[in-house]
Amino acid sequence: MNLFRAVLFSFLFITSFNLYSHNPEDFVIAEIERGQMNFENEQIAAEYGAALKRQRARRLAAMPFYKKFYIFVKAGFQHIIPEGIDHILFVLGLFFSCITFRSLLWQVTAFTVAHSITLVLAAQGLVQLSGDIVEAIIALSIVWVAVENCLYKEPSKWRYMIVFAFGLLHGLGFAALLTQYGLPKDNFISMLLAFNLGVEFGQLAVLVIAFVLIKMIMKKNWYSNEIKIPASLIIAGIGLFWFIERVF
Amino acid sequence: MSKNLIFTSQLKTYKMRKLLFISALLIIVSCQQQSEMDPNINPFFQEWNTPHEVPPFLDIKDEHYMPAYEKGMEENLSEIDVIVNNPEEPTFSNTIEELERTGKLLSKVGRVFSNLASSNTNPQLQELQRELSPMLSAHYDKISLNEGLFNRVESLWQDRENLGLTSEQLKLLEDTRKQFVRSGALMSEEQKKQISEINSKISGLSTSFGQNLLAETNGFELILNKSDLEGLSDGVVAAALDAASQKMDKAESEEEKEKYKNKYVFTPHRSSMYPFLTESTRRDLREKLYISYVMRGDNGNETDNKEIAAEIAKLRAERAKIMGYKTHAHFVLEENMLKTPEEVYDLLVKLWEPAVKRAKVEVADMQAVANAEGQNFEIAAWDWWHYSEKVRKEKYDLDESAIKPYLSLDNVLQGVFNTTNKLWGLNFTELFDIDLYHPDARVWQVTDKDGSHLGIFIGDYFTRSNKRGGAWMSSFKGQSNLDGRERPIVVNVCNFPAPVGDNPALLSFDNVVTLFHEFGHAMHGTLTNVTYGSMAGTSGPRDFIELPSQLLEHWASEPEVLKSFATHYETGESIPDDLIDKLLNASKFNQGFINTEYLAASLLDMDWHTISAEEDLKDANKFESESMRKVGLIDEIAPRYRSTYFAHIFSGGYSSGYYSYVHAAVLDSDAFEAFKEAGDVFDPNLSSKLRSTIYSKGSTEEAMDLFVQFRGRKAEIGPLLKVRGLDGAE
Repeated sequence: MNLFRAVLFSFLFITSFNLYSHNPEDFVIAEIERGQMNFENEQIAAEYGAALKRQRARRLAAMPFYKKFYIFVKAGFQHIIPEGIDHILFVLGLFFSCITFRSLLWQVTAFTVAHSITLVLAAQGLVQLSGDIVEAIIALSIVWVAVENCLYKEPSKWRYMIVFAFGLLHGLGFAALLTQYGLPKDNFISMLLAFNLGVEFGQLAVLVIAFVLIKMIMKKNWYSNEIKIPASLIIAGIGLFWFIERVF
Repeated sequence: MSKNLIFTSQLKTYKMRKLLFISALLIIVSCQQQSEMDPNINPFFQEWNTPHEVPPFLDIKDEHYMPAYEKGMEENLSEIDVIVNNPEEPTFSNTIEELERTGKLLSKVGRVFSNLASSNTNPQLQELQRELSPMLSAHYDKISLNEGLFNRVESLWQDRENLGLTSEQLKLLEDTRKQFVRSGALMSEEQKKQISEINSKISGLSTSFGQNLLAETNGFELILNKSDLEGLSDGVVAAALDAASQKMDKAESEEEKEKYKNKYVFTPHRSSMYPFLTESTRRDLREKLYISYVMRGDNGNETDNKEIAAEIAKLRAERAKIMGYKTHAHFVLEENMLKTPEEVYDLLVKLWEPAVKRAKVEVADMQAVANAEGQNFEIAAWDWWHYSEKVRKEKYDLDESAIKPYLSLDNVLQGVFNTTNKLWGLNFTELFDIDLYHPDARVWQVTDKDGSHLGIFIGDYFTRSNKRGGAWMSSFKGQSNLDGRERPIVVNVCNFPAPVGDNPALLSFDNVVTLFHEFGHAMHGTLTNVTYGSMAGTSGPRDFIELPSQLLEHWASEPEVLKSFATHYETGESIPDDLIDKLLNASKFNQGFINTEYLAASLLDMDWHTISAEEDLKDANKFESESMRKVGLIDEIAPRYRSTYFAHIFSGGYSSGYYSYVHAAVLDSDAFEAFKEAGDVFDPNLSSKLRSTIYSKGSTEEAMDLFVQFRGRKAEIGPLLKVRGLDGAE
């Protein structure tokens, strides 16, 4: 009986002069007043995406600071492991180029400082570059570093400059994704910092894992020919594949 | 699962990964609640252990509905069988209360489906809806025509004095019995057969009426060249161009495509017609489009509705006669707040005169504008939108863009929450860990002044392409105290423009009024506190249920309240007084027209449904013009719906019910007047009386009694005339 009455009565009502109820038989009225519904999947998806972003912003705004901070650190970390395979390859490329921990530290620092700069600038909307170009050059940067590993024994002096320049680009890549994700307005800088921190942890993790695995054999004389060069070649190959894919 | 996704993403294109990255982030923030549902079992067949029993939307897929409906109907029927075959003598508890407990599964799936088929629909759901509609009506027929069940109800009814029932129980028994009687339970077999024949004829004719109307509305198009667009704004032109290109996409032949190439299309759909009639300076084209609109179903072709309308009205009259009613209107109104056609006519006629008087003033105002322009014609019906717009600009001008910054959605929500807080002590806490059917839908817990849980409120405010137009209130769960305290889940769905980028959503004042209106329905559905679910919330008669919603609108335009929430989203300043004045003044614009066209349609509806079965009805046009001549409708205005396109009454369920909106308006204006008289729009005594009568009783008492309990007398029309500027006070 519940529904028997519900069907008769529960149909819903709308603003004063805009009469149409939810009774299926009344849909004809709606269709006449407003025209047929037009389902365009692309538009529905775009609307959904925008709505998700709004929902996220609301949820974030309602969270305590520490929770938000943690979420952004985690997001930054996940952007390297496991999702940032191209960033992992770039960092590995740097790793294979170095025999001394010292030179690796300098390169990674240059890379980090550079991508932090552009990440902040781009997230603030001060720098903008088409995503397609950025992504293509990021792929190229991987090829470059890996090829260089094969040609030189020791990283050259100006290599730091190149790494720094590539770092600037990688920062733009992070920023593009971060902007789509949406930073909360009231904690903009701290959440940006949190995200960057996550990225650094991710990078560090890659290097530590690589270091632990390769440490024992690094000083062997076959290391360069048997490990470093083949690994670099593979990295270069993947980078090249991406470059072609992203350009064409 | 997610590992797999991420793994394969590495092999795929970068864009794919980008999407995944974002969705991974989303998952971190969004999915704080883990689904406990078994994915292999239809969610409608499982317990919902979700917070507050909000439906597990993410687990419900399109293919779950039909099996759940089928099983729900089957279960429902066997539950009814158990009641009917109970060897014990019928008692209130083993019959009426047991009936209340039936159909739980059907209700579970039905509420989710009917909501989502409108608020988040797709072609599959729409198809399903068409499929389900006849299945459900056949199902409910089986229950309402179940003789064994009626016999139990009837024997209780005969013995009602001796059952020791509470007034609520007595009303439930009465209402239940009435449903059966109105479905024909007391008829002889011969009469039942006649009625069912008439019903199926009416149903066939209603369908044809709707189909014809659709064909007629879609059948006319005004195809214009660039040179015909004089006066039209960019947005309107763009929409017309878009309409032409859509027609081109759908065209089947090259020749047809050519017809729309570089053209602009307007149609008799209101959304297309109104902007054209308002803006176009081409009087000849305005006339053409307008005439196409008012002639729908009246073109003497194969989709003509004249005979169909007359035939439907006649069949309804015959049916009423068989059932022992004087006319169809008597049959319908029996269930309403105004009980007889006389009462309805009395109300409509009282309002008619001031409305037409005001409309004549409006015509004169427009004529003055036209004359000043040096035009050499008398204002006609197709000039109304164009010239009333000019009058509006002159006398009622309101810069929407100056007001919107004060009306951000969040501020307005705060405003409506505060209003109910001041009236009834309610508090709203937004919940962020519940996933709904769409990320734009938001959810709040509503608590009472003592902190107890009252209900769940869902607000889904932004327009999107998979949502039906308009605004409405509905529920995902009803209220009942029969087997423990069950509190409702109600939802408001609107079509406000979504914000652009990171800006807040800014509403127009119309939107604000709509939000308060729907929120009024939501409060009716939330404050309800009755024993039996079928009598809860918005279950009352049609001319009553608009009262709780329209009443709340009055607080939105109360300067004291408006000032408290309308603060600029950037500067935080309160809305200035002169803007409020302009805003309130603008609400009186064009009221002569709006009320006249509406009342004309209401009167037409009543006329069609107070004919006797013997009346000789051939020509719907003659009937209509006689009906309008009788009351004195002016030439410059047509009824809001002419007979041949009055789908509400000939295709939908509004027959002799179209008046109900204005009846509710009389009630709400008069009810709010009580607060004005008290000198405090939050007067504590009135507020609590309002809650204990109008908002919490559902249909457990006669609606008119509830109103009188609140107001101390029946409603008067004076306050409404004042609100709408029809009191001649200008």
